[in-house]
Amino acid sequence: MPEPSQIHPAPPLLRGRFQRPSWLSSGLFALFLGFFLWSLAGAGMSLQSLMQGLPNMGTIVGEMFPPATDRAQPIFEAILVTFQMALVGTVIGVILSVPMALLAARNTSPHPLVRYVTRSIISFVRTVPDLAWALFFVVSVGLGPFAGTLTIIVDTIGFCGRFFAEAFEEVDPGPSEALDSIGSRPLDRIAVVQIPGALPSMINTGLFSLEKAVRSSVVLGLVGAGGIGAELAVSMEMFRYDQAAFIIFSIFILVYLVEHFSSRMRERLLTQIR
Amino acid sequence: MNPVAQPLVQPRFVAPSIVSDSLQVEGLSKHFKGTDKAVFRDVSFSINEGQSVALIGANGAGKSTLLRCCVRLIEPDSGKVSLSGEDLSGKSGRALKKARNRVGFVFQKHCLVPRLSALTNVLHGNLAHCSGPRNWAQSLARQEDRQRAMDCLEQVGLGDFAYQRCDQLSGGQSQRVAIARALMQEPSILFADEPTASLDPQSGELVMELFARLSRSRNLTVFFVSHHVEHALHYADRILGLRSSELQLDSPSHSESTASLREFYA
Repeated sequence: MPEPSQIHPAPPLLRGRFQRPSWLSSGLFALFLGFFLWSLAGAGMSLQSLMQGLPNMGTIVGEMFPPATDRAQPIFEAILVTFQMALVGTVIGVILSVPMALLAARNTSPHPLVRYVTRSIISFVRTVPDLAWALFFVVSVGLGPFAGTLTIIVDTIGFCGRFFAEAFEEVDPGPSEALDSIGSRPLDRIAVVQIPGALPSMINTGLFSLEKAVRSSVVLGLVGAGGIGAELAVSMEMFRYDQAAFIIFSIFILVYLVEHFSSRMRERLLTQIR
Repeated sequence: MNPVAQPLVQPRFVAPSIVSDSLQVEGLSKHFKGTDKAVFRDVSFSINEGQSVALIGANGAGKSTLLRCCVRLIEPDSGKVSLSGEDLSGKSGRALKKARNRVGFVFQKHCLVPRLSALTNVLHGNLAHCSGPRNWAQSLARQEDRQRAMDCLEQVGLGDFAYQRCDQLSGGQSQRVAIARALMQEPSILFADEPTASLDPQSGELVMELFARLSRSRNLTVFFVSHHVEHALHYADRILGLRSSELQLDSPSHSESTASLREFYA
């Protein structure tokens, strides 16, 4: 009678699972583990501090309820300004991103050098954090929502510029070749092939950008770039946690509404475009 | 019913005798970098106005490359191409674009903008003559251009599908929209690169019938690439064949048979 292993030999993949990992893999894993443990210390991770902080957290959360509505009107006005900053910044940013992306995309850029320079600018804009841009604009144009709006414009160009360029590069080259074969101009091909072809992706990116801008415009207020962030910072600094709770709740409502609106818009626009 | 055995349009076996050349190709050669073999060399032929010519050959014989070289979508290494007597060789930029205005091109994959309506795609054919937003979308178009685009769609039997998005059309319908786009351009010569390759036999037959009808009614020169020897026999006045990098066949279609053309692929 044959042995069971002779009847059902282990498939090659299963045998591979039990192979000893190579020295290189083991070494790399050990290196990663060592670096991670070192990073735990660098990140100041401390269970003791967490345990000591827990009562404080409880106190603060306790003081947050019930949320104070005594400054509801200025808070709503600040929320509105926050949304306005995000909307204006995103719309202008998206509009400016389109020509930048066209210059940065392989199939629409007029020259490789232009493409390289534009890509570099977009990369630079994207890699500098928005708080750094906010500080730069606060120093340049003064405190207030204008500095925040400029920050969002620059941040949106960095975000949308890259994704729009990738969307242009992914457009099927066939229709463009077809129109090239009849002697159409590059601007026409961009307008009738590239932009409609990339539009679903552009709408997605643009709406994500709006969501991102709303969230970041909250933080921008912390460095004086206008909006609800300034109100939140003041409330926390003055230990008015009940007021801070109301602000956080208002921010949650704003972000939820924008995300809900953006996903509804996304669905509607993507089915209607023609 | 076998659509090939009973063509919907009878072939026009007699080519016009005293007509001007619509396309003239002299000594055209092409060799891609990194390969030893020429795609084709020293290819010469001319196509008369209103003539329908099929180009056959095995896969990789260079048919599509030859077609593209004729309008310099691919740059030939040497040789001369003239469209209605106008030499394309030295042209570049705007002059080349202007020369291409008269050339309609139908591709194997219909190459339509999928998210746009059939009418808007047809309107894009007008970009050959007139640049600008008026021809970017049907909603921006002039009334007369929109009407002309509608007429082109009617001619290919898709008037009812004008506002349908192209990604919702079948392969055959899409190819007919691509032909309507070429008609919108009002070309003097129509190139078609395996226009029926991605279609089922019946849709393919409809498309070829359409080419034949348009060629006849508009005195349109048609130069098409096909792997279907039956299409070449039934719908072309003349058949050209590429083999071993050379033009080895140039014959009126009535003097060929399915068997003789199949041998060409052997």
